Amino acid sequence: MIRVEELCFQYDPKQGMVLNGISVEIERGAYVGIVGSNGCGKTTFVRHLDGLLLPTRGQVWVEGMNTRDRDLVSKVRQMVGMVFQNPDNQIVGMTVEEDVAFGPCNLRMPSREVRKRVAESLELVGMKRYARRAPHTLSNGEKQLVAMAGVLAMGPRYMVLDEPTAYLDPVGQRRVLDVMGRLNSQGITIVHVTHRMDELARAHDIVVMDGGRIVLREEPARVFRRVQWLRDLGLGVPVVTELMWRLQKMGRKVRPDVFTLEDACFELSTFMEAQDVRHNERTGSSASNCKHRA
Amino acid sequence: MREPVPRRLTASTEHKTPEARSQKNQYPVPPTAGYPASSDQYPASSTMSHIGQYIPGESIIHRLDPRVKIGSVVALSLLILRGDLLWLGLTSALIMALVPVSRITPREMARALRPVLFFFVLLFMLHLLFTEGTPIPPFPSWPVTMTYQGLFMGIMTTWQFLLLIMSASILTMTTSPADLVCGIERLLRPLRLLGVPSHDMAVMVSIALRFIPTFLEEIDRIREAQAARGADLGSGSLIRRIRSAVSLSVPLVLSSLRRADELALAMEARGYKRGPRTYMRDLSMGRADYIAVAMMALMTSLRLFQAYS
Repeated sequence: MIRVEELCFQYDPKQGMVLNGISVEIERGAYVGIVGSNGCGKTTFVRHLDGLLLPTRGQVWVEGMNTRDRDLVSKVRQMVGMVFQNPDNQIVGMTVEEDVAFGPCNLRMPSREVRKRVAESLELVGMKRYARRAPHTLSNGEKQLVAMAGVLAMGPRYMVLDEPTAYLDPVGQRRVLDVMGRLNSQGITIVHVTHRMDELARAHDIVVMDGGRIVLREEPARVFRRVQWLRDLGLGVPVVTELMWRLQKMGRKVRPDVFTLEDACFELSTFMEAQDVRHNERTGSSASNCKHRA
Repeated sequence: MREPVPRRLTASTEHKTPEARSQKNQYPVPPTAGYPASSDQYPASSTMSHIGQYIPGESIIHRLDPRVKIGSVVALSLLILRGDLLWLGLTSALIMALVPVSRITPREMARALRPVLFFFVLLFMLHLLFTEGTPIPPFPSWPVTMTYQGLFMGIMTTWQFLLLIMSASILTMTTSPADLVCGIERLLRPLRLLGVPSHDMAVMVSIALRFIPTFLEEIDRIREAQAARGADLGSGSLIRRIRSAVSLSVPLVLSSLRRADELALAMEARGYKRGPRTYMRDLSMGRADYIAVAMMALMTSLRLFQAYS
């Protein structure tokens, strides 16, 4: 478990606090999404989780280890892996396998163990075939998968991803999200920072940040229900959620806590079937279209 | 399941691409079902083609320990530079034999030598024209005369340099940059006693090599961005060209600094600290390596014996 207690942080004593007393617990095996508008301190916050930044006030405990403890820094970083936004600027190696080996080599593992871990983690993210490739021949999505493999090779229990899809095209985005879901189902705790709400359909919990504070922590369905409130914070909700919300405001009887395209299609089709006979023909065909697309 | 078919630019390099090689090692096809195989179409080494580009392969020379190869190139260079005609002939024969043994085609070798062609011509002309001696008959009264001695010296020196470049090219064409860095690091390791940080140097060199193509892409992007805004690059007077080079380098330097910042953070997050670390490959000497070392040692000691007896 990662426990954050009353975390305050400022980059520069002359300026104000960037984080104002954050307290949160992240359980093992969870998938936590962190959202918030630009400059609300998301990145600053998650950089405390593996001791890249140290709190000005307050404590961060990772599995009972305080990140302030200089002797434990290396252990904490092994336990909490970090994937950054820019896929290019976190790849060190001349080839994919060299890069994945970077972490284990820093931990001074013997060569045989390093090779085993490199093969395993590349397999896990589906990049094994690219082991000998030079990083610049990969797409951004693939680079991000390599970065994730590099973290996995260190054997982490937690994986913090700071807007991992920001530089990616839709295909790369989907691949990265799929791998994140798969890793989570294998027991790795995921902390996913993003400003795209629709990426968080898989999350168990969503933490909403504003002005250096945590303002809400709920399961996605409950968070997405507060469409107007999220808008006031400068955050959007998934398009389908917004559609349902608008339909409900118009007085239609639909569930507002829908946030995946599949659920939306199901919800819409059942709603339309319940409509009067006059619309049946038209709506029936459009609903089946929708089902087909999903 | 979509069967990804790697497409290659040229047929001649087809059997030498990294994927072909890794498929030979029987890596299972990864679960990419449902995703377009985006970078499968990407030519493995299209943006980089410079002197002695690594050509993946499985020849006996490819499989030699990088330390042995580096040591052999150093020894060969000494033999080439300090040898007489006999030694020059011997090393020539050896290097000429090594090219086909390394499965390097003459065309690949020629491509590696092309960038230094001008240098060879210059070297030859300098020796030919500026060596004292017996003038060559047809033009005895020119202000600058060609001499027989000059012709001989020119051929000798050019030949020597040709051999040097060829032996270095065989090394870099048959050794992946990663192996090369690893080999150099191992060879420099004894110097750690004198305070040479060989581990840190290896990391530095490999990061530098890794970012060369990234920077080339970046330069292209900046140039395109400026051209799209109407900048006229690469033409006009010298001053204008220098000015456009400056306008290209300022954004490049700034973005590199930002990259360096982020990279440092990412390295820290992955537990990097200065000092000893381990390596993915452990270099081990096989029978071929010992034979190669023995051959080089024999040749070098013969040359030393000849010199001091």
